[in-house]
Amino acid sequence: MREPNLYEIITVALAHELNEGELGFTGLTTGDGAARFATSIPLAAAQLARLTHAPSLTIMLAGWVHNPDLRQLVSLPNSEFDEELRDLECEAQSRGFPNHPWAIKRGDIDFGFASGAQVDQYGNINSVCIGDYHNPKVRLIGPVLQPEHFTLFGREYIMMAHHDARRFVEKVDFISGVGYPGGLAGRRELGLESGGPELVFTPKCIFDFDKEIGRMRVKSIHPGVTGDELRESTGFDLGPLTDVPVTRMPDADELELLRNEVDPYGLLLPTA
Amino acid sequence: MNVKKQRQSKLTSLKDAAALVQDGDRIAIGGFGVYQHPMAFVYELIRQKKKELTVVGIVNGNDVDILTGAGCLARVETSYVGFEKFGLAPNFRRAVEAGELRIVDYPEILSMDRFRASQENFSFWPAYFLGGNDLLRINPDIKPFNCPLTGKKAWAVPPADPDVVVIHATLGDEYGNVLVPSRRLTPQSLDITLARSCDKVIVTVEKIVSTQKIRRHPHLVEIPSYRTTAVVEAPWGAHPTSMLGVYGGDDEHVQAYLRAAKSPEDFRKYLDEYVYGVDGHMEYLDKIGLETLLRLRKMDIAL
Repeated sequence: MREPNLYEIITVALAHELNEGELGFTGLTTGDGAARFATSIPLAAAQLARLTHAPSLTIMLAGWVHNPDLRQLVSLPNSEFDEELRDLECEAQSRGFPNHPWAIKRGDIDFGFASGAQVDQYGNINSVCIGDYHNPKVRLIGPVLQPEHFTLFGREYIMMAHHDARRFVEKVDFISGVGYPGGLAGRRELGLESGGPELVFTPKCIFDFDKEIGRMRVKSIHPGVTGDELRESTGFDLGPLTDVPVTRMPDADELELLRNEVDPYGLLLPTA
Repeated sequence: MNVKKQRQSKLTSLKDAAALVQDGDRIAIGGFGVYQHPMAFVYELIRQKKKELTVVGIVNGNDVDILTGAGCLARVETSYVGFEKFGLAPNFRRAVEAGELRIVDYPEILSMDRFRASQENFSFWPAYFLGGNDLLRINPDIKPFNCPLTGKKAWAVPPADPDVVVIHATLGDEYGNVLVPSRRLTPQSLDITLARSCDKVIVTVEKIVSTQKIRRHPHLVEIPSYRTTAVVEAPWGAHPTSMLGVYGGDDEHVQAYLRAAKSPEDFRKYLDEYVYGVDGHMEYLDKIGLETLLRLRKMDIAL
């Protein structure tokens, strides 16, 4: 059996985080890298979880297609609202406002996925601008649904297709999704009683958070990545890395399910 | 009573409908991202050289970018301006980076709620999830308060409060009854909310049909005639954005637009060719060409 690749390792690691009965939200980030990380990997992980320990998990594609039959797709959708998705077999569809936003505010959504131009050591994320807000070096797309993702969802997985010091910074230029400034106590003072980032997946490692002090820390390093490489690619201090384990490898059963049942045509996860 | 008046038609030309928009207005433009914007109407706004408009929106794309590049806008209030799979919005980006366009960022669901506040005549919409977000730092229009019942920390968000709303829909009659297919998605649902948030509602439709035909499908009429100020027949009126169940987005045209929009000089040439240089919507469609339009056409099985 072929050795697991990076995408398969991340997908299986993520699948272990998703619980029976939960509701998950994937949006449609496009651009090959971001789409792969923030859409394809989450969809594959959720389907793997459904086929194993979480048969009644619900996953939403593009934020409105509930439990789609992904094996019917001939190509990855690159459009949120077209006939192809409308006519894809699934359990339920949200037709839009005010339907699914109500579920968001009630706290129905247990987990979601985000990516951004910058992430900082507190878990804040930025998709608004690089540089000063009123005189930006680069104006980006705007906050979109990030403020909601980082507060109204039960937990958020940050999915970064690239891991470098330009993206992993000490402090983001603009907070459009709130992490843990001042830790959990800090969030409570801000009126945020739940939610927040849980893990950060990158091509080099998985981060989790010390939520009490509100700092990101390395949970595991992917096979073949050195501690020095990780430090060079990260714009904030990572602390000691000596006791950090290597990311868990998928077992043979998981790989077989992933390759034969979840993604038999290699649409979600590249095989190379 | 021996006076018998005729029911007044609201059928309007694109030119006369666009003339209902005043310089400085707050305008809400239907559609979402790269889907179903009333682009024929947007082009006419540009031809009429509207100035100092504020676009109040939810998720914007082609609409805001071209209006920015044509110099029609002073301010944009929204959660997103971009071209989704095609990337960032070049004119918008350039104008914000140069300090020529004021952008006021709102979270996506709150951008929707702002229209619902206008629909319900609320003076604000409450949000409970904004603490720590830099959106508060840059937006003085959002005010903190404590819930009078629970003491919970909250923020009052201003309603969208548009002066004029324009959307593009499938079918309508001359009186302004507008039909939206039942297999609608978020962009179409949001258009319906927009149309309920304002007293000046302009609807461009793919086709004007008889009132008899509309009366046989009353359950699909989401905008009844009394809500509509003007109705305009504009076939392919969302081009180059998509129209659900009617035609797909013209990706090649959008890519050509984005190439042109990389520089102000090339963008001026684009505007000269497709907006200023054509005498109205029919001439624009001639320029796009029958072959392209037929290639984009979709044939839905049922409404």
